[in-house]
Amino acid sequence: MIISTDARTSPEHAGASDRNLLLAVSGLRKYFPIRRGLLRKVVGETRAVDGVSFEVRRGEMLGLVGESGSGKTTVGRCLMRLLQPTAGRILLYNAMAGVDLCGLSARKLRDIRPRLQMIFQDPHSSLNPRMTVGEIVGEPLIVNRVAKGTELNERVATLLELVGLNGDDLRRYPHAFSGGQRQRIGIARALALRPELVIADEPVSALDVSVQAQILNLLAELRERIGFSCIFIAHDLSVVEHICDRVAVMYLGRIVEIGDTDTLYRAPQHPYTEALLSAVPIPDPVAQRERTRVRLEGEVPDASSPPPGCPFHPRCRYAEPLCRECVPELRPIAEKSLASCHLSEKLNLKGV
Amino acid sequence: MEPLLEIRGLTTVFPTDDGTVCAVNDVTFSITPGKTLGLVGESGCGKSLTALSILRLVPAPGRIAAGSIWYRPKGGNAPIDLVRLCPHGDAIREIRGNEIAMIFQEPMTSLNPVYTIGNQIAESVALHQAADRKEARARAVEMLARVGIPNPRQRAKEYPHQLSGGMRQRAMIAMALCCRPALLLADEPTTALDVTIQAQVLELMKSLQQEFGMAILLITHDMGVIAEMADEVVVMYAGRVVEQGEPEAIFYKPLHPYTQGLLASVPVLGRRSKARLVAIPGTVPRLQRLPQGCAFRPRCSRRMPVCVEMPELEGASGAADASPNADHKVRCWLYDHQHGR
Repeated sequence: MIISTDARTSPEHAGASDRNLLLAVSGLRKYFPIRRGLLRKVVGETRAVDGVSFEVRRGEMLGLVGESGSGKTTVGRCLMRLLQPTAGRILLYNAMAGVDLCGLSARKLRDIRPRLQMIFQDPHSSLNPRMTVGEIVGEPLIVNRVAKGTELNERVATLLELVGLNGDDLRRYPHAFSGGQRQRIGIARALALRPELVIADEPVSALDVSVQAQILNLLAELRERIGFSCIFIAHDLSVVEHICDRVAVMYLGRIVEIGDTDTLYRAPQHPYTEALLSAVPIPDPVAQRERTRVRLEGEVPDASSPPPGCPFHPRCRYAEPLCRECVPELRPIAEKSLASCHLSEKLNLKGV
Repeated sequence: MEPLLEIRGLTTVFPTDDGTVCAVNDVTFSITPGKTLGLVGESGCGKSLTALSILRLVPAPGRIAAGSIWYRPKGGNAPIDLVRLCPHGDAIREIRGNEIAMIFQEPMTSLNPVYTIGNQIAESVALHQAADRKEARARAVEMLARVGIPNPRQRAKEYPHQLSGGMRQRAMIAMALCCRPALLLADEPTTALDVTIQAQVLELMKSLQQEFGMAILLITHDMGVIAEMADEVVVMYAGRVVEQGEPEAIFYKPLHPYTQGLLASVPVLGRRSKARLVAIPGTVPRLQRLPQGCAFRPRCSRRMPVCVEMPELEGASGAADASPNADHKVRCWLYDHQHGR
């Protein structure tokens, strides 16, 4: 067990006095052991998530972006306790006080689970092909003894209609539906228990472009109608800009920048955010031709042996000697925005 | 300029339990030497199968039922119709890899896991360029260096699983380009990559294109990638070309309701619009159950009674606001003299 050295709350932490606070994550770490040899001896560890702190307020949509291997999916799975975090605290608040999800027993966790739900990336593999749509969407209601019999069927039909499917689709199996419709079934299941927090892990990236928009619109509409909070994990920065109120950018298991979507996209404070934004191709030939791209050399380092100092420094074009030695902290730079870069004040980074 | 590749009326069919389906239906376009043609469409629109038809690699039981693919080989020989070649014969093998090369979306599944990267690249050099093993090996290492793989001598000795996704895609590009093909077919070459790596690979493809003067057929569903790379754009839907033109025409004056819908349904970086996206209702139709006439009709907001008949792909001269333009073609009744607005 690794004892967290910076398990203190993040600078943006407003404390439990903030009535709107729903989730406060601090110092979250998840290390996976690397085993070698006949005896499966632990020879090292992959630091998939390495000290992540953030908050989610009620009704807010927080985007978690980053490239593959940045740890964004692992954060989502730790929040659901599908993975046991190595260290850190995940406080889920109700009107009175917060509960730390990390320390809960399986039994206690079961009482909390209805408040947290997940939407998965691939609607082809996340729905059981041998269950009818009615069983899939109704299962959380049965397991948590919320409804049964005719009431159950009515509630499932209402849920299906809520996500834009036909209430009569109850008896059909997932294979009879297209990818977009299957994702709607997944959303209906996630919303069955009226969760306070929905974790959506790449919910549209497996869908056709013309169908993506339908699902994004549906999520935005449902959020307005039902008012859940959402952590939207994605790699597509255009989608995140469109749908999220705030965005956290992850790199090598850490949050390098977090802030209001508009502020972060217009005036990024971390060189990685700048590079990420400039790498996204824009569907506009003239604008695309006139853009100058920040070229990012190399690739994301191995999370089992992160570079010393700032984890981004080997690829950063602004890196100074300080960056090679000293790990920058996530600190407030502009209003409502935090970044972990020694040079944020000096640099004038370009947004979009 | 004489086209490098000219596809006319290409139709590729698959027999299924529900009857024969046309996965590629009467597709016509041509590729200019040294230019990039972007082929856009969603899953099942026939864009990948068009590329496989060019290389005569249509998986059985599919077959090319009609059309011709005229290819002008290196060295100024007379054009050959690739459709007439035997798919297992020597003639097409001489073209595959040597004249026309292909890179795929997922390099892990298209590289052989039991051979080293260097061996796989050297194999095609040895096959096409009459080079001995040592020469072929040297060419492989040189090519790996050219695509920006650090420490190429060492990397050539490694197996595909030892490379990262971006490195593997670079190795695929090295393999495709080692015989200096005149045409590169790139099927979603960056879809499986992260954005920063995608940017690197696209830049690499552009610089190698300039250096080698090859043409690229770039297949993608990402309008952003098309905007960055393409000199000409072909939009496909349900096996047919629905619109074709220069990027400026396609992006700024899209004519077909499907193209318009595609562009309106993707959020654009930096636009800061919180309004709902304009989604295209419904889903891509299954090829077994294509609607009669225009395949986009059930999802189209501007459908008319005449749309139950198939419109032709024609120059957009009928459009009220556009001057006759043979370079911008669309398959839609809205731009027909009699039926349009």
